[in-house]
Amino acid sequence: MKKVLMGNHAVSYGARLARVEVIAAYPITPQTQIVEELSELCANGELDAKFIKVESEHSAMASCMGSSAAGARAFTATSSQGLALMHELLHFASGSRLPIVLANVNRAMGPGWNIWTEQTDSLAQRDTGWLQFYCENNQEVLDTVIQSFKIAEQLALPVMMVLDAFILSHTYEIVDVPERELIDKFLPPYMPEFKMDVDDPHAFGALVTPDNYYEIRYKMQKSMEKAPQIVTQTGVEYGEIVGRSYDVLETYFCDDAELVLVAAGTLVSNSRAVVQEYRSKGIKLGLLKIRMFRPFPTEQVRKILLHIPKIAVIDRNISFGASGIFFQELKAALYGRDGVSEARIFGFIIGLGGRDVRLQDIAEIVDYALEEEKPKEDIIWMGLKR
Amino acid sequence: MIEIRIHGRGGQGAVIASKLLAMAFFKEGKFVQSFPTFGVERRGAPVAAFVRIDDKQILVRSQIYEPDHIIVLDPTLIDAVDVTQGLKPGGWILINSTQKPEEFGNLKKFKVSVVDASDIAARHRLGSKSHPIVNTAILGAFAKITGLVKIDSVLAAVGEEVPVHPEENMKASKEAYESVVV
Amino acid sequence: MSKVIKFNKESDLPPLVMSLGTTLVNKTGSWRYLRPVYQDKTAPCIEACPASEDIQQYMYLVAKGEFDKAWETLVAENPFPAVCGRVCYHPCELSCNRGEFDQPLAINAVERFIGDHGLERSLEPFKIAADRKEKVAIVGSGPAGLTCAYNLRRLGFKVVVLEKNEKPGGVLQFGIPEYRLPKDILAKEISRLEDFGIEIKTGVEIGKDVSWAALLKYDAVFLALGVHRSRAMDVPGEELDGVISGLEFLSQIARGEKVALGQNVAVIGGGNTAMDAVRTALRLGSKAKIYYRRTRAEMPAIRDEIEEAEREGIEMEFLVTPVRISGENGRVKEMTLQKMELGAPDESGRRRPVPVAGSEYTVTIDNVITAIGEMGDFNFIPEDMLEWGTVKTNHFGQTNIEHVFAGGDIIEQPHTVVHAIGSGKRTAMAIQAYLDHVDPETLVDKISVGFKGGFSFERFNDGQTGDPVDNHQVVHYEQINKNYFTEKPRNEADEQEISAGITTFREVKTTFDAQTVIGEALRCFNCGVCNMCDNCVIFCPDVAIKRREDDYRYEIDYDYCKGCGICVVECPRNALSLIPEGK
Repeated sequence: MKKVLMGNHAVSYGARLARVEVIAAYPITPQTQIVEELSELCANGELDAKFIKVESEHSAMASCMGSSAAGARAFTATSSQGLALMHELLHFASGSRLPIVLANVNRAMGPGWNIWTEQTDSLAQRDTGWLQFYCENNQEVLDTVIQSFKIAEQLALPVMMVLDAFILSHTYEIVDVPERELIDKFLPPYMPEFKMDVDDPHAFGALVTPDNYYEIRYKMQKSMEKAPQIVTQTGVEYGEIVGRSYDVLETYFCDDAELVLVAAGTLVSNSRAVVQEYRSKGIKLGLLKIRMFRPFPTEQVRKILLHIPKIAVIDRNISFGASGIFFQELKAALYGRDGVSEARIFGFIIGLGGRDVRLQDIAEIVDYALEEEKPKEDIIWMGLKR
Repeated sequence: MIEIRIHGRGGQGAVIASKLLAMAFFKEGKFVQSFPTFGVERRGAPVAAFVRIDDKQILVRSQIYEPDHIIVLDPTLIDAVDVTQGLKPGGWILINSTQKPEEFGNLKKFKVSVVDASDIAARHRLGSKSHPIVNTAILGAFAKITGLVKIDSVLAAVGEEVPVHPEENMKASKEAYESVVV
Repeated sequence: MSKVIKFNKESDLPPLVMSLGTTLVNKTGSWRYLRPVYQDKTAPCIEACPASEDIQQYMYLVAKGEFDKAWETLVAENPFPAVCGRVCYHPCELSCNRGEFDQPLAINAVERFIGDHGLERSLEPFKIAADRKEKVAIVGSGPAGLTCAYNLRRLGFKVVVLEKNEKPGGVLQFGIPEYRLPKDILAKEISRLEDFGIEIKTGVEIGKDVSWAALLKYDAVFLALGVHRSRAMDVPGEELDGVISGLEFLSQIARGEKVALGQNVAVIGGGNTAMDAVRTALRLGSKAKIYYRRTRAEMPAIRDEIEEAEREGIEMEFLVTPVRISGENGRVKEMTLQKMELGAPDESGRRRPVPVAGSEYTVTIDNVITAIGEMGDFNFIPEDMLEWGTVKTNHFGQTNIEHVFAGGDIIEQPHTVVHAIGSGKRTAMAIQAYLDHVDPETLVDKISVGFKGGFSFERFNDGQTGDPVDNHQVVHYEQINKNYFTEKPRNEADEQEISAGITTFREVKTTFDAQTVIGEALRCFNCGVCNMCDNCVIFCPDVAIKRREDDYRYEIDYDYCKGCGICVVECPRNALSLIPEGK
């Protein structure tokens, strides 16, 4: 049924459809309505889940871990500093192989204190062993929450799904909320092979000596490597049942493109509009949407971009001392065993701390990349007041 | 694409108004997007909310800089903020006011329309006498003056979405629809 | 020990960090050098109760709404719950640990509710031994005599109670006024005892209807005569008309006799008899006033009674003593009083009142009621059994004639109903021990409740649940884990009809309703006794504690308990103890 929903409520509706059993979260702007709605659903009985009130994000994740270890489908949501406070337990959750789903509303890290959107908070958690999905609109937000559980539970790895602060979190748009029966068909109850059970006690998360730790890490990487195939398959299944398919990434007019924009989150949506405009003028512009950032879909990206002459990566984030993070990842992906891309790769930084990104800003990026043979700087700061 | 900006004060329901307006257009099969001013809101401080309407999927996700129409929930804002900023030529400014359109001298360049939404809301006991909730009333007036959306769509959105006294809110919308001064 | 699993290659490893084998092989109990054990201890209220009622147990049951079982717990130690729930001076409440936390539990009021709840119940199920051939005579049917009779009956003995008066009950019948203890309540508690097979012969006086020698022919005798003579003031004019002893006054009223009092009535004394007399006189329409030779603080009467009397508008004059009563035509008219001041403490620890020279003054009065103390009337008892005006006994009540026992107010102990009940119960146990040729001293360790001299009949009788018990450890406030309790004000039973100028003998205190009584019982800390709160289960980090199969209490799996002691610390009520391993 189609509704007009804010992004945060799309998250809540998704969690509800996924029949989460435990929610433990601490409120933080701009994530608040996610938790607000879920606690209300728990309170009025529409959602048969345990809502655990906690005193911090660290405790929220700890509660999710305990619940998940005991076999419950666990969910939390946070943002920015809250996610950073969880950092230790993000490692712990993935190391414990717990399929927790976390919704992160992308917000800039402070100080300077800032509640607006930026990708650095989630990207800074890229090495914690969590899968990461970035959403383009509220429909994708709802659909991704549901798929995240299925993906996480198949891989025994936690999933972080990400939406932009305000641009999605507080913006109302049309969302088709699937019927409950369809989701029940898509997502079976969580039945873990291993869980904490007093009637069959095992030691979990205990000391692992150097003799075995190395292999444990190897196995985790192997699971991560399986993720692209599982994500693709899950996206197809979702499409078969619900009618909307998803994949690790999405191409938009890439086949004959002379320049391909690479973006994630709502930057994709704006870029789409710009691509339409340029294509209408006959300019061969394409767009690659990175939906799954972790594991980075290297193989798929290479397949698409290896023969594209120019690539412009748009980062709403910065890894200080390096560059935009998607930029780094993309460059790494294009230098591989089966060859090296000859493309000129432009790295653009834009919209940090919620600075508005307008269509003409994206158009400026396109014009720069079309005009210049190669980037004039390693990092191109768009809209910087100089 | 039509873009609308709604000016109000924190607590007056500008954000809900933007959502209701989006809902009304949605009921007519349009693609819609509505959002508040991104950031913090304080009771009484000037705020704005926005609506985009289109026949195809809305991809643009930036702020609205050049709105087609403006709705002003509180007449005292006219002096406090530049409510006409970026308004496209030929666009409407709909003001909740007891004054006549021609009395807004500095808005002479624009199409001004007024409705006494405060009075309508107070008579339907929406909010309190001193702080009437005018957002549903003024949307009825918007439907009338712009002709962009049917009053029935507005009433349907109000009836479904307003949690308290939906009937009275619908009556207020309808009354404003009928009494707005063009 | 566990078998060692060797992982040779990564595919041998489980997908997550977990033991492949069950952790049950890891018997962490081997680390333990301290062992937690469940051990019921003694709550301070129980220790303080002269009748050793299992207060915390019946609070536990009341809290669960199990009023029948609560009553059964009560009468296991005390056959007079409805009486004691009204007249007891409740030292239990003074000892209640909750008193240090916020306010003590309203134990007395809960007891009354439960006593009333059980008024129609039979005592038959409480008989615990087959009938025996021995027959015991009990002299006096007050609380001591009847309690002794009850417990002897439970043990199978034939019992005959010989009562001098026309009705049984002793002080309960003839001393305590109707407004504190309605006669129909008393009658029900006594008739239940008669139904239980206790023979009560009224109008039988020793030395007149039955000789001392005939009495001694019983297999055992329990003397519980009570004290019925008011102590004389030894002042001139005491013989005048209009001067009456408090006990005589109260018994006349109890018998329904008409007592003509004048307008101004002086009651001399500060004990319970004085309070009962003054409040009764008030209800008869007189302006009654207390004269007491020490101060309010030294008054031996129950605090509640003093306060109720004050609320009824009774005036009290302190630090005065009558030195002379004068009359006209043989009838009292004036009383001369002398002011006193408090000197050095006497043997009772209270400061001795000393006359203030030249302070005499005279008041006009119509009656003087004397209530400065009571004494026994021992006319048929041989001199050598007596000492200092009491019957000499060992602490089991045995006199110098080995099959003759004594208890209640005639022995050296406080003159309260609950002490009388305690003494009756103690002596019943001693009589069985005597008849079975057992030295009762050998039982003391088993039956003692704390260290204040109380004995448990249940423990005497092995009627315990089988839970491990450390009778001798009394749980003090410091041993309660206060983190688990929140402040909650004490529930008070309403009072009715307390006002100046009261004329009705209707009962003063009302009782709790069921909801309030449960609420009050829920305030109980249940000091020292497990009430199955599950805290130990929740906190045990080794999952070594679980509820027993029968869902009553817990068991500890010592294979896995590593003796960390968390359960002991987190037990809110100190019902667990840590003991050294191997001892």
